[in-house]
Amino acid sequence: MITLTNIEKVYRTSTIETLALNNINLHIGQGEFASIMGPSGCGKSTLLNIIGLLDAPSKGGISVGGQPVTSYSDQELARLRNQRLGFIFQSFHLINDLSVLDNVEIPLLYRKQISGTQRRQMAQEALERVGLSNRVKHFPKQLSGGQKQRVAIARAIVGRPEIILADEPTGNLDSVMGNEILSILQGLNTDGATIVMVTHDEAMAKKTHRLIRLFDGTMVGDTTLTLC
Amino acid sequence: MIRHLFRLIWNKKKAHALLMVEIWASFLVLFGLGSMIVFNVSNYVEPLGFSYERVWAVDFNNNQDTTAMQDKVNTILQRLKAYPEVESVSRMSSNYPFSTNTMNNGVDYKKRHVMSHFYTTDADFAQTLDMPLVAGRWYGKGDLGGKYKPVVINRKTQEALFLDENPLGKVFGDFRVVGVIDNFKAKGEFMTNAPAVFEMIEAKNTWDKIYLVKTKPGTDAMFEAKLVKEMSTMLVGWNVEVNPLVDSRKNQHNLTLVPVIIFLIICFFLLINVALGLFGVLNLSIAKRRSEIGLRRAIGATARQVSWQFVAEIWVLATFSLLFGLLFAVQFPIMHVFDLASGVYIGAIALAVAIIYGLVTLCALFPSRQAATIHPAVALHEE
Repeated sequence: MITLTNIEKVYRTSTIETLALNNINLHIGQGEFASIMGPSGCGKSTLLNIIGLLDAPSKGGISVGGQPVTSYSDQELARLRNQRLGFIFQSFHLINDLSVLDNVEIPLLYRKQISGTQRRQMAQEALERVGLSNRVKHFPKQLSGGQKQRVAIARAIVGRPEIILADEPTGNLDSVMGNEILSILQGLNTDGATIVMVTHDEAMAKKTHRLIRLFDGTMVGDTTLTLC
Repeated sequence: MIRHLFRLIWNKKKAHALLMVEIWASFLVLFGLGSMIVFNVSNYVEPLGFSYERVWAVDFNNNQDTTAMQDKVNTILQRLKAYPEVESVSRMSSNYPFSTNTMNNGVDYKKRHVMSHFYTTDADFAQTLDMPLVAGRWYGKGDLGGKYKPVVINRKTQEALFLDENPLGKVFGDFRVVGVIDNFKAKGEFMTNAPAVFEMIEAKNTWDKIYLVKTKPGTDAMFEAKLVKEMSTMLVGWNVEVNPLVDSRKNQHNLTLVPVIIFLIICFFLLINVALGLFGVLNLSIAKRRSEIGLRRAIGATARQVSWQFVAEIWVLATFSLLFGLLFAVQFPIMHVFDLASGVYIGAIALAVAIIYGLVTLCALFPSRQAATIHPAVALHEE
């Protein structure tokens, strides 16, 4: 599904050069639920950004569904992100001035072929999927952390993407809420979505199918997990 | 997307209230200025109706001398006509072209009432000012002595008094129409082409002592000095003053243009203030919304769409403000405020709307381009 070949990412300033990722070779297959772990600053988020086509590698190639995307234009990358990828962030990134329903609709605004009525319907369905159909008119400030993250998940899945990328989705939540979010992600994975999740939480990571470990920008482990 | 932006701006209406008031106030000021400009420009494009180049208004003031006035005013006329440098001379009332004097009177015909400018002139007036007649003829000495005084009217008076009727020979009050001219804008190009009636000066009239002297091409100031000197010698105790109509016209233009220019300068600084305010607010807004920009890029917006969104948002904001402004502005043409034509107000509204949209677009362009350069990966990890 997503293949990274010899990925290297270097951040340069006028005085310093930082190697954030070094020689990463990774293939994420369809239907996988992979977690990425490692200490702070090891390059987890950088790797997720590169997988999510939000950042370009300094070296190496990326292909999505067998198609190399390294030379894609901004417009082509945007279309790919919109149609095939869904993003979930630790700090939710909800727009406080929009209602829950309006927040969930946003990815569909960038698809010209979807009408307003269809958008509403799809957003309602996504909110039902995360158990928030009774909060459509609420605003983010009126929601708890767990509810906000569920809205963010609804927004990530509203466009029915094949791949969901989650950057520490439970990082701002207590363990009960965290487990709730993880079970939603597991449910989405069971329904066929490929999920890549960055986490600090070993217990959360162990509930996924595959654990990729990073250390100082290098991949130091790639373990397939057997779920109990 | 437009609906989405409307909802976004509407939900942020409290935060945007001051900005909306600023745009609304700018619209109203621009509407005022626009009304002045449209009114003056629409007047300006209307033909003046006469020629003023090479024409001088020679004003004779008899001071304490009241003896043999009738002879003296006729002698002046004959003497002026006798100069080889003079092409034509006409005597008229003090409201000569581009002067600051005005004479108005109401005239009635078949229950129609019109306020009209009145000019008392002689038989040579049309010739002196090269005024073409569109119907009939200019009055002459032969027209005096009848029951009615001969008058020439302009087309505005004709339309207002006689509608579709042929005005020639028609009688209103003490007057009988002998001719019709097209435009006559005595106060210059910026004057409205208002109704005008030209009444023939009577023999007993000795108080109107303005002589319009049309000089031959190439006549210079030497002749002006000679004329003043000779006339002063001929009319002891009288004052003679020469005002070339070209100079009087400039004075009239200044009377119109100076307030407009002052208003324009004030407006210009106001708009600069508004533009700087908008620019600052947008810059701040973009700095505050980096996370949103990052998110939109992540979920499928291109750099161009992000840039466009900020421009579109400011358009939406301007639209809300303009809608409130329009509620006020449309009252002017509906209620015929200041008795101006509706077209003036509608033109001013269009001008103000265009300037406001142009201004907000200009102010939004740079910040919106900056927004487009924000890297999503960086913006999403700043919190």
